[in-house]
Amino acid sequence: MKLKYTLLIAALTSTALHAEVNISGFASINGGKVLNGSGVPQFGLEPTFLADYPIVSAYKEDFSFSPESLIGLQVSGDLGEGLSVTGQIVARGANDYDAEFEWAYVSYDINDSWTIQAGKKRLPLFYYSDFYDVGYAYVWMRAPADNYTWQIFNYEGVNLLYNGSIGDWGISANIYTGREDDEENKLLSDFFFQTPTREIWEDILGGVVQLSYDWLELRATHMQYTNRRFRNGEASMWNGKDSREGKFYGLAANADFGNFFVLTEFNRLDLDGNLDTYMISAGYRINDFTPYVMVSNFEGEGEDAEKHDTQALGVRWDFHPSAAFKVQYDKVKDDSVSLAVAGDSEALTIGIDVVF
Amino acid sequence: MKKLMCLLLLTTASSAYAAVSVIVHPSNGSSFESSTIKRIFTGKEKSFSNGNKVIPISQEAGSAVTDEFNDKVLNKSSAQLKAYWSKLIFTGKGTPPKEVSNDAEVLKMISANPDTIGFVSSDAVTDQVKVIKQF
Repeated sequence: MKLKYTLLIAALTSTALHAEVNISGFASINGGKVLNGSGVPQFGLEPTFLADYPIVSAYKEDFSFSPESLIGLQVSGDLGEGLSVTGQIVARGANDYDAEFEWAYVSYDINDSWTIQAGKKRLPLFYYSDFYDVGYAYVWMRAPADNYTWQIFNYEGVNLLYNGSIGDWGISANIYTGREDDEENKLLSDFFFQTPTREIWEDILGGVVQLSYDWLELRATHMQYTNRRFRNGEASMWNGKDSREGKFYGLAANADFGNFFVLTEFNRLDLDGNLDTYMISAGYRINDFTPYVMVSNFEGEGEDAEKHDTQALGVRWDFHPSAAFKVQYDKVKDDSVSLAVAGDSEALTIGIDVVF
Repeated sequence: MKKLMCLLLLTTASSAYAAVSVIVHPSNGSSFESSTIKRIFTGKEKSFSNGNKVIPISQEAGSAVTDEFNDKVLNKSSAQLKAYWSKLIFTGKGTPPKEVSNDAEVLKMISANPDTIGFVSSDAVTDQVKVIKQF
């Protein structure tokens, strides 16, 4: 796999003579600590604020910059006549700043409305999935952890993208298919099971429709996949089978009235039972300052299910044309017992997001 | 006192940009609503009503005329606009308009290419271009 991306970069560099190459990037330097937390005594977990599930951004009682800091570089080569190739390399503090290709795809504009892309991309489950790493692009420190909990966040496959408009409404839509085979999934291996776990999502088929009208934006999505899992090389069984089907549904609505804005998201994953999540946030822009509040919630079905919620408040300060300073307070309540995640916690995080 | 004078001069200088004109090539007969211009400059509209592919030309962030255009036409602060574009750039969904550094460069590009659209401060407009809207 690594070789494939090395070749891609080689291709990017060698076409530099013929193509217009653009380099852009983003970075977030975030730090924080748990002010107060219960941890999960039954699992021997110390007080922890899990700011991000798939990447396992875990803040502890000692102040740290590692969990969420990252730097990303995007190299895009425009080969003309609608063909381009893009690679995005991200180095995360949570992974000791090992740089990895997280996006690597070719893109071809069939016409003004239709684009086809193939390669490795972010799995667009949630509204913020695609630009989750680009903190500058949204108001909070991070998209709400209770919602963005799924262990797989990239895929390799094909994506067909549509862009158009009807009257004053903008419409964008995409259909994608592919698979992801994560040899050692971080969330499952390092956090939940603490044994090497290979997570496979295959036969992924999904679609997204997004409508925008001046102050209003609506997004609906559906995705289905087949899940296989190997813990210590041994296949996980569910109801006597070595695979299970997942179906994801999502709805997001954002309203922006100039200074005041409201952001919402509702999701359901049906994976042998429903796992429901929601997020509601509001903010108010006062010149360069944007104070905001957010609540998010995760609730599984049945007794002794996974159940947790977060209340957050913070401020974004656009102190520089390409940089924003943020500070956020989070209060997490974890009501699950046998499926406890990280226990209750209160945490303070601060950070600077830049784009270049 | 000197500082005050400078401040006064600066204020008058920036008020010279009070009006922004959106311009196209004189041969471009397409129709424009304010919302069309907004959609073109946010990457949501890719063609003129005459069917030709549109090439929007913007000016450097931070210049007075750009701030004025962002504020009056796009209803966004420069930080909001930057956040908007970074979302599209890093997800492969769009590219911001080409940026040039001043009114003269915009006028040069617009007068030379029938598929372009740009904005300049109203007092810079020449007869080489057609004004479609003033804000």
